[in-house]
Amino acid sequence: MAVYLLRRVALAVGVLWAAYTVSFVVLYLLPGDPVATMAAGGSDGEPVSPAQLDALRARYGLDQPLITQYGTKLWAALHGDFGTSFATGRDVRGAIGDALPPTLQIALSGLLVAIVFGSAVALVATYTRVRWLRQVLMGLPSLAVSLPVFWVGLMLVQLFSFRLGLLPSVGARGPEALVLPAITLGLPTGALIAQVLAKSMSQVLDEPYVTTARAKGVGEAGVHLRHALGNAVIPALTVLGYVVGNLLAGSVVVETVFTRPGLGRLTVSSVGVQDIPVVQGIVVFAALVFVLVNLVVDLVYPVLDPRITTGAAV
Amino acid sequence: MTTDVLLPAEGTVPGAAVAVPVPATPRERLARLGRFLRGRPGLVVSIVFVALVLVAAFVPSVLAPGDPTLGVPADKLQAPGLGHVLGTDYLGRDVYTRVVHGASLSLQATVIAVAVALVVGGLIGLLAGFVGRWVDETLMRFVDVLLAIPAILLSLALITALGFGTVKVAIAVGIASVANFARVMRAETLRVRRSTYVEAARSVGTRWYVTLRRHVLPNAAGPVLVLAVLEFGLAILAVSSLSFLGYGAPPPAPEWGSLVAEGRNYLATAWWLCAMPGFAIAATVLSVNRISRALDGEWARFS
Amino acid sequence: MRRGWTVAALATTAALTLSACGSGGGADPAADAGPPRPGGTLTFAVSSDQGCADPQQVTSNDSVYSVRQLVDSLTDQDPATGAITPWLATSFEPNADATAYDFTLRPGVTFSDGTKLDANAVKANFDRVPALGARASLPKGYLSGYQGTTVTSPTTFTVRFGKPNAQFLQATSTHSLGILSPASAAKTDDQRCAGVIGSGPFVLESYVKDQATVLTKRTGYNWGSSLFTHPGEAYLDRAEFRVVPESGVRTGSLQAGEIDAVASIGPQDEAPLSGAGIALPARANPGLPFGITFNQATPLGSDPAVREAVSLGINRPEVVGAVFTSQTKPATSVLASSTPSFADNAALLGFDAARAGTVLDAAGWTAGPDGIRVKNGQKLTLPITFANNLSTVKPALELIQQQLRAVGIDAQLQEKQISDTPQIQQSGQYTALWANLTRADPDILRSSFWSGGTNYYRFKPGPLDALLTGQAAAVDPAKRAASVAQAQKLILTEHFTVPVVELTTTLGIAPTTHDVAFDASSRIQLHDTWKSE
Repeated sequence: MAVYLLRRVALAVGVLWAAYTVSFVVLYLLPGDPVATMAAGGSDGEPVSPAQLDALRARYGLDQPLITQYGTKLWAALHGDFGTSFATGRDVRGAIGDALPPTLQIALSGLLVAIVFGSAVALVATYTRVRWLRQVLMGLPSLAVSLPVFWVGLMLVQLFSFRLGLLPSVGARGPEALVLPAITLGLPTGALIAQVLAKSMSQVLDEPYVTTARAKGVGEAGVHLRHALGNAVIPALTVLGYVVGNLLAGSVVVETVFTRPGLGRLTVSSVGVQDIPVVQGIVVFAALVFVLVNLVVDLVYPVLDPRITTGAAV
Repeated sequence: MTTDVLLPAEGTVPGAAVAVPVPATPRERLARLGRFLRGRPGLVVSIVFVALVLVAAFVPSVLAPGDPTLGVPADKLQAPGLGHVLGTDYLGRDVYTRVVHGASLSLQATVIAVAVALVVGGLIGLLAGFVGRWVDETLMRFVDVLLAIPAILLSLALITALGFGTVKVAIAVGIASVANFARVMRAETLRVRRSTYVEAARSVGTRWYVTLRRHVLPNAAGPVLVLAVLEFGLAILAVSSLSFLGYGAPPPAPEWGSLVAEGRNYLATAWWLCAMPGFAIAATVLSVNRISRALDGEWARFS
Repeated sequence: MRRGWTVAALATTAALTLSACGSGGGADPAADAGPPRPGGTLTFAVSSDQGCADPQQVTSNDSVYSVRQLVDSLTDQDPATGAITPWLATSFEPNADATAYDFTLRPGVTFSDGTKLDANAVKANFDRVPALGARASLPKGYLSGYQGTTVTSPTTFTVRFGKPNAQFLQATSTHSLGILSPASAAKTDDQRCAGVIGSGPFVLESYVKDQATVLTKRTGYNWGSSLFTHPGEAYLDRAEFRVVPESGVRTGSLQAGEIDAVASIGPQDEAPLSGAGIALPARANPGLPFGITFNQATPLGSDPAVREAVSLGINRPEVVGAVFTSQTKPATSVLASSTPSFADNAALLGFDAARAGTVLDAAGWTAGPDGIRVKNGQKLTLPITFANNLSTVKPALELIQQQLRAVGIDAQLQEKQISDTPQIQQSGQYTALWANLTRADPDILRSSFWSGGTNYYRFKPGPLDALLTGQAAAVDPAKRAASVAQAQKLILTEHFTVPVVELTTTLGIAPTTHDVAFDASSRIQLHDTWKSE
């Protein structure tokens, strides 16, 4: 068990280091001259004076050789220091920390919507004998992942806020303001959950022990809820990391549409002014979340499913 | 069953069952296609719609002869009706014309994105599968890392580095979706490489690039193309999201995403400005996804 | 099993689209207001945030609305007459050549941190202004030639200038010279942007960039301007300014009753809002109208033919009619019509596409194959930098782009953040800038067009300078007006700037909100605002 655990942790650290390196390469190497990029701030403006560029370079340590920069920055990052924002001069970790709570709020409520929507669709679709209902339900996920998230949000605002006056359209005040963003964020993720769950449910339903339970006279609903769902959830857990990443990424669009504060809005405004340190901080943070969630899933997995032996690592 | 478990949004790994070439006369094949389509009205609608979108992308003037950037301010904000099928915008520009002409920009970006993903991902997968050993290990770990960063954030990081514009957005989306192509290509390469005829070819001393060209590439092409169609739908969504956020072409270019963004100011009064371009995106993605499902197994299973 | 999904999916999509397009909603009809009552929270939606909560460092109206409430000014300006009236200063007197101003302060005024507002506090503010950075272009210009403040007693002081400064008295009425507590004034620019302490009718509770500015009532406030309609504290308990970039969402939330007031509504919102009982007070902003101003240090900006062709190629009435609210007027001079000493120069701002073509032809810009003009192999591509801080900006520029294309000018629109504008102006990284500037004094011309000032537009010294400095020195109003009139004419005949449309602030005010007052600069004063309910 200890070996399994160590191996998992080592793998997670490796992925994280690689994510840092990839983002460093993309953000600091790709532009050729990150300082000129940042000074231009997006679209192609006229050139900035060389003296100004040199001053900026010195200020952010970009006059050092690349490998030195990489080393210094990585060392600092290991201590939780992702540098300061080019645009606001703020400490990147502080900026992300401040933006995190409102994003967690919508991500968690989005996750709730996703789980409820996803498992309801999967359960009813595998349970029902009504052919058309089954077809409609199984069609829902592919519909949900085909709609542009920003557009769904705007249409929901139009319908529920402007036409019906039921829910607030923007802002982050009160639980009502969470409803529309949570639905917008949760739909595509719920679709993913529904697909995975429905697939593993129909596999589980063909297993011999389910047939045995049926033969023993357990009702169809009982088979579904007690035997199938429990076992189907385990493989579905493996996509949890992806689900959480989805929610985090979805916040970029959803926070923009609903004018909410958070990590997504921070991302959009930082990309807008090409604030490289903040963007890198957010990318690495997203990778950290992904890695942590997967690590937890990996550790919980053997406990839930005794068929997995800890020696077998893939 | 660990960190590298990851599904494309469709939930199925494409290429599991590929159309196996059935020897048949053209006439028989056509009859089979007819029967196949007759039972699938949704697929027919999808094919027709995608065909129209393609026409819009390459020769937009056939579907909408007007100038998408030229407005008649006197006719502004007219609701959909006889004169303007999808209404007019805040400068009196025809929304239908703008959506049709927008297709070319948006699809151009999507095609570039998928091409970048296919070429880069394909090469990585090919190299990993063909060379094997530590090259395989290194490349696939790299792909794992790409999967650890949500695609839109990776795209946004690339845009931060590259700057704004349609082509840059397209490249960013393409790079961010390299991972799936790499995996499918690698799996196919491994499968083909281990097959008897390749082993046989190698044993008689066929050079590696000949093996690659004669056996590996043609066999891997099928599943990779199926994936390409599926990724096409995802790429439309990603490209339009980024253009909605304002990283695409500057005004007055009518990209689908930026058309929706423009419409936000008129959400309360002119619903069609937001609704119509968004509907075009949704319908295109749905149709493309439907076609990709048909290619991915449905056709092969049909008899 | 999978077939048939797409049809169902497409049908569902269509249903979602259509259901979102039902009939419009409405708001409650106006209740009988009755006499003003204290209490309540005003929620005000603005479209942008300049990224700073210091009144001395903001220029954008959307930021001024909120931070104006934090500070008092030495004087106030009557929006109806333009007359300067007492506020913190009970008396004010310039000397004969406008180089020194005597002020007497009212006693008993305190900042919200408890310190006294006395002559030394005012001196601390004025002494700090010249050292402020690029964001504070307005107050720095107002204090140009500042030599110092002599404190003669706790309530009396004299502000001295090295050269005549006729506009200073009006400047003391603006938010830009609102008085901060000495502790706030002493902080760095960036620290001040995070929030300041003033003596105004409201206190800053919180400021989150791009999100919200929340104000609470200053208890014990009893030193309001002579123009306020009631003495004592403000009626409102709180005022919350939320940043909502989309005008559609702003008006939608106003109609749905989520918010009480919005600034800058678009023409498409006028009918539905007034139909819902929402008041739409409007006032033209004095100062520089919205227009395109060229960077004289760039090849295109210094080409008089290009500047003239841009001016001739813009059909102002069409832009105004298509994009702006019904009360908005096209620009008829380099000053807005509500500015003192405005001179009507409509004849210089006509639309004449044919003449624009002739002017360009004469200068060697000949029509290329795609209609865009070319000279020495160089296309006439004019980048116009703009900040999308008002919902009217992009539509207006897109229409101008369309109009300029018709005369062979390829205008490229480059969007920047409003918070980056001072930096862009200072660095000179632009060819032409779409902007306006609000001030109820013609000295705004000197702030923008004088080669000796901040000179963001890179003017070379020329005959314009003498006119601009001359009006600043003129104590005689008639002489000053004459200089200002000449300056306006000169700027327009040289086409240094191409004014297009007068910014008209149109507010949307819910029926339950009353007495949101415009000040002389068409910004708002919330001291007398109250809510019924």
